[in-house]
Amino acid sequence: VTSGTWDWDIATDTLRGDATLAELYGRTPRELAEGVPARVFVEAIHPDDRPRIRIAIAGIRAGAEIFSKEFRIVTPGGATIWVHARGQGHHDANDVPVRFTGLLVDVTERKRTEEWLRVAQTAGGVGTFEYIDGYATAAVSDEFCRLLGLHPAPALPVQTINGVLATGEPPLIPDARGGAPETLDGAFCIVRKDDGQARWIARRGEIRREGAGFRLIGVIYDVTAAKEQEAALRELNETLESRVEQEVANRQTVEEALRQAQKMEAIGQLTGGIAHDFNNLLMAISSSLALLRKRLPDDPQLHKMVDHALEGSARGAALTQRMLAFARRQDLTPVPIDVVALVGGMSELLTRTLGPAWPIDCRFPDHLPLIVADANQLEMAILNLAVNARDAMPEGGSIRIEASDRRLAPGGIEGLAEGHYLQLSVVDSGFGMDAETLSRATEPFFTTKGVGKGTGLGLSMIHGLASQLHGGFSLRSTPGAGTTATLWLPVAQAQIAAPSAPIEASAPGHRPLKILAVDDDFLILMNTAALLEDLGHQVLEANSGAEALALALEHPDIDLLITDQAMPKMTGVELAERMIEARPDLPMVLATGYGEVPASAKTAMVKLGKPFSQDQLAEAVAQALHLKRKSGLPV
Amino acid sequence: VNAAGPVSDPGPIALDELERDAITEIVNIGVSRAASSLRKMIGDHVLLSVPSIDVVSQSRAARLISEREASDLVAVRQDFTGAFSGRALLIFPEENSLALVRAVTGDALSSAEVIDIENEALAETGNVILNSCLATMANMLKRSLTMTIPEVLRGTGTSLFDVPEDGADEGLVLFLYIDFAVRKRDIRGYIAMIMDLPSLATLKELLGEFIALVLGDDGGADRAAS
Repeated sequence: VTSGTWDWDIATDTLRGDATLAELYGRTPRELAEGVPARVFVEAIHPDDRPRIRIAIAGIRAGAEIFSKEFRIVTPGGATIWVHARGQGHHDANDVPVRFTGLLVDVTERKRTEEWLRVAQTAGGVGTFEYIDGYATAAVSDEFCRLLGLHPAPALPVQTINGVLATGEPPLIPDARGGAPETLDGAFCIVRKDDGQARWIARRGEIRREGAGFRLIGVIYDVTAAKEQEAALRELNETLESRVEQEVANRQTVEEALRQAQKMEAIGQLTGGIAHDFNNLLMAISSSLALLRKRLPDDPQLHKMVDHALEGSARGAALTQRMLAFARRQDLTPVPIDVVALVGGMSELLTRTLGPAWPIDCRFPDHLPLIVADANQLEMAILNLAVNARDAMPEGGSIRIEASDRRLAPGGIEGLAEGHYLQLSVVDSGFGMDAETLSRATEPFFTTKGVGKGTGLGLSMIHGLASQLHGGFSLRSTPGAGTTATLWLPVAQAQIAAPSAPIEASAPGHRPLKILAVDDDFLILMNTAALLEDLGHQVLEANSGAEALALALEHPDIDLLITDQAMPKMTGVELAERMIEARPDLPMVLATGYGEVPASAKTAMVKLGKPFSQDQLAEAVAQALHLKRKSGLPV
Repeated sequence: VNAAGPVSDPGPIALDELERDAITEIVNIGVSRAASSLRKMIGDHVLLSVPSIDVVSQSRAARLISEREASDLVAVRQDFTGAFSGRALLIFPEENSLALVRAVTGDALSSAEVIDIENEALAETGNVILNSCLATMANMLKRSLTMTIPEVLRGTGTSLFDVPEDGADEGLVLFLYIDFAVRKRDIRGYIAMIMDLPSLATLKELLGEFIALVLGDDGGADRAAS
């Protein structure tokens, strides 16, 4: 490092200096050894720095003792160099300044390095610190102070630096009592002192062990933006996860509902199929029994046994009816119904069925609209719900039946179309159902009543009935607080109640008829024939549509056709349509276990539900004859 | 040492760089005279210097000093009136004040004796330093100032700077850092001059006159070039 000395005599304003000073000022060593005018000192200084140095020199001349300045000197060669001048004012005994001496050091290199460091710190936003253990203060850079919102100072108490940290953060300058820290790497949440902003500050650096102690040299910089991005990203990730979870949950719900629907559909198919076949068997059993009974010797024991068998098959038939209802294949006769009148008409039946400990409490508003339903099935449904309500209250209790007029917006109730409904509820205050039971309550064969006490078909049948009527059925229940079973029944378009006048059964066949009986099941066919013959009719048997048509051609004098509906190749309805071409006036009876006779059926036919008794068969035959007599011609 | 010091509050009456250099130099002359007086008093080596200055609000001065000093503060206070009026404070961190007293009184006294005379010694030392500074300012700026007798205060930055609670009508503080070298001890302290705005405006004007005088004709050219 180049350094020169100067000696300024204030009284004579003469400047003397050594060879180095002479070189810096572009003078000969001799010139400066002998002395030059003092203004030379100032004239060599860069014009921008000159005023403040002149003020400082004025201070020395007026009695200041310490001079410590950095400034630029422009050499005679045109080079600019940075110098640090450290000087002192000397006073005489009367405190009058007499000399100004000092040392001029070339600090150009240091100044450049400092400049680089300063730019690195300000442009890069990096603050430096140095801490020696055992000291109460740390040396810091201006940028360090700015990052923490502190007033710039060359040194700050550790207490002040650590005072900027948010509550709960570890110290920025580590506590020296615990020995040297493991690392200086870390991030800290601070509250900036000047503006109170919360910021994230990262710290990096080196730990130098020196004897028993240590020295920390480190940097800090603001990482708030990175932290915020990180947090935003994390939040996005987290919400993404929850959004995905929500979507998955939605799908699971939909899939669950779909699976439930598919299960119900499959059970429906299965139930319907079983019920249909079982019905045919019951048909064979019951009609054979009925015929057998007529031919039995007059032995009360034998009659009783046959009656038991008949009763059993009747109960079997009732069961298949319920199964068909669930499978929505029941033969319903929807007519406009006044629910209030219907329930009123059931009151005696309800009271008798339920028993005195379960009074019925009807709550109907005035002027309820009519609905369209099958009266018998609706009665069955209400009775069934009432029995369920009773069973939920073993200690007794009031059963409320209520109805109201409801208009549903689209999507108002799950599974129900927009429209005008009558809401009919049966409410109990019994032990209720948990969610698991509730979700399975309308599955067929699901019962909580214990083996042998219920078939498990009650609610599933009601559910099937409601669906077939384009209505709905819902259950609401809270364990321990009772259950509300609600039927949603579409309101009738035409508000005129049909007179509940069943077709009067004509007296069963007085005259013997020639009847063509058709069924693909030999067992059934034989039975039907046997029943008809027992009624005194002559029966021609055919076990397919084709055979029936052939027989009809052979026997143009056939009085009536009775055919099964579900047959392979040609259904009963198809047969009837072919038959009508040749015999438009032929009375026809369609025996079926299914509700769905095609709407396109052009032929007026009497429907006969299977299994049927001999009486029902006789009545159907009579009705068919009556229908033809009335209309005369096919529709 | 950075003579320019950090950038200060840009108040309505901010001092420019040369004005800050000028007031720093004037105070330097003052503390040099005080050092001379102290040398005569205690017969030993004393050096005082003021490396830099900040002009800040009262509340900022309070915050600034409490950031820099972890301990409580001791101050010698003197009020001054004249062309510009205000209050001068010579402030030390509490632990430095005993060191200063010990340095000024020599090592002959016991700790108990030092504590006994601490306030007196501080008041006397402060009086020498502040008087020199204010007298030099008055002298250099060719005005007269009168001063009250010194008073020793203890407290925090906020209490010493008497910060108004509502922040209204805050005066400005000329905040000078002072380095003492007394009997081979280095002691750091602060000189603060609290002035209201009119006083500071007067001071600024007087500093301008002083600078013009120092720089002279060619100095004016120098100043324009800077």
